[in-house]
Amino acid sequence: MQAVAVAVPISYMRDAVGRGSVTATTRGTMVGQSQSRINDAELIREAQRGNRAAFEDLVRQYDHAVLRLALHMTGTEQDAKDIYQEAFLKAYRNMGSFRFECSFYTWIYRIVTNLCLDHLRKRQVRKEDAPVVTDSSGEEYNLLDQVADDRSGASPERDLMRRELGKRIAKALEKLTPRERMVFEMKHYQGLKLRTIGDALNTTEETAKNTLFRATQKLRAALADMR
Amino acid sequence: MNCEWVKENVTLYLYNELADDARHELEQHLGRCKDCDAEVAEVRQLHEKMNALPQLEVTPNLLASARMSLQEALETTEQKNGWLRFAFDPMHWLQQMRFSPALAAVIFIVGFGGGIATMYRTASHQPTEGQTVVTQDRRSEASIAGIRSITQEPGSDKVQIQYDSTIPEKYQGSISDPKVQELLLMASRSNYNSGVRIDSVDLLNKKADDPQVREALIYALRYDSNPGVRLKALEGLSGLVKQDIRVRNAVLEALLNDNNPGVRTGALRALEAVKADTSVRQALQQLSTEDPSTYIRTESKRLLASMPHIY
Repeated sequence: MQAVAVAVPISYMRDAVGRGSVTATTRGTMVGQSQSRINDAELIREAQRGNRAAFEDLVRQYDHAVLRLALHMTGTEQDAKDIYQEAFLKAYRNMGSFRFECSFYTWIYRIVTNLCLDHLRKRQVRKEDAPVVTDSSGEEYNLLDQVADDRSGASPERDLMRRELGKRIAKALEKLTPRERMVFEMKHYQGLKLRTIGDALNTTEETAKNTLFRATQKLRAALADMR
Repeated sequence: MNCEWVKENVTLYLYNELADDARHELEQHLGRCKDCDAEVAEVRQLHEKMNALPQLEVTPNLLASARMSLQEALETTEQKNGWLRFAFDPMHWLQQMRFSPALAAVIFIVGFGGGIATMYRTASHQPTEGQTVVTQDRRSEASIAGIRSITQEPGSDKVQIQYDSTIPEKYQGSISDPKVQELLLMASRSNYNSGVRIDSVDLLNKKADDPQVREALIYALRYDSNPGVRLKALEGLSGLVKQDIRVRNAVLEALLNDNNPGVRTGALRALEAVKADTSVRQALQQLSTEDPSTYIRTESKRLLASMPHIY
């Protein structure tokens, strides 16, 4: 197993979300990362001794990012919650086997990405429609209907066009393989570095790069007629 | 840098994943090549389109409910290898000690004092030649071999752990010393390190006349997993094939059944002295036709041919 130290503070990940690009890592964030790793190491040791409070502290550091990834990948709050719970329970049960060969962040991301990939594979078999999601009360609604265009100059026509575009994009994303979908999500929407993505998927940066290239080509082909 | 390379790396360029020099070269290339510039514009447009997809965000309610469910589930979840928490972790212990400078001073003083004390002890107890010396350092070298039981006192946080510990010891003495022989016999049978077994069998070979030692050598020849140990045992037993029928049988057994050709060859040589023996002759006949090693077949035939009067 490749042992690479990757620690991305949650605040950094949140900043990168939605912009599709990541700003250069500053000296401040690097100090923050190493500090976060030291704190993590202490918490992990405590958690390995059966201290549940320490484990819950660890969870709180990473759970927003984990839940967000699961939510984007599954499209439903219930599935995202299930994956979140399964991932952290798996981590808790196997704390004893954590050997500090990678950061806790990479480790938990490995677990989550595997669970999400399993979920996507099962869903591909069932051929479910992606944009239809259920809210916490179990009611179904179309994800794209929830988008309100609050920009100035928004009009019903533009809103309709945006919804159409959203539907096409969602369909194009459905055509990607689970792995391509995962890499694209982690890069474009989560703003993670390819190296981090490679670590989380237990593969090399080069393979992650190739998968991203394939995903981009497929999306381009699927959305080529849209201007 | 050519257009092909640019097309493959446009995505990395737009995601800011290219190294500075590659980025600079790519930008230079874009200034010169209209096709590649158009390619970059197209991928950039795709990224903008993809950003138009509405993204579900984690609401505080969702996060709180996920955390609550997880907390409930953790109540009933056990860690695998939970007993590890009882194991002694020196790093953790040291981390608990927040007075490192004081600890360093204590270690220094104890080390210094210990060094002087050891010097006095060794100076006043220099062993004379042939004298038995037993060295023990119970404090630093003892290791926990296994935990027998863990009991918690009811109504308190006290835990009683019963465990076995092993302490390394050293024994030095003459080969004729019964204690040395006893240890060698033990090493020849049970030590997990084959190097130690070879050394002990080698030493025991010198005392092969002793029935107990002979027994141990026969055992090693028959059952040791390491061919080197079996060969060493065979070396010690070779001289005894004439006088001891049990040794002869063990060597014969090795000749017929040992999976190592080297051991079989050694057994063949050892049995040359008793080749007239019926059981040996039978074994030789079998080997001369069936043994997978050409050398052993030839040697068996040669030995059989050298005693024509038997037929």
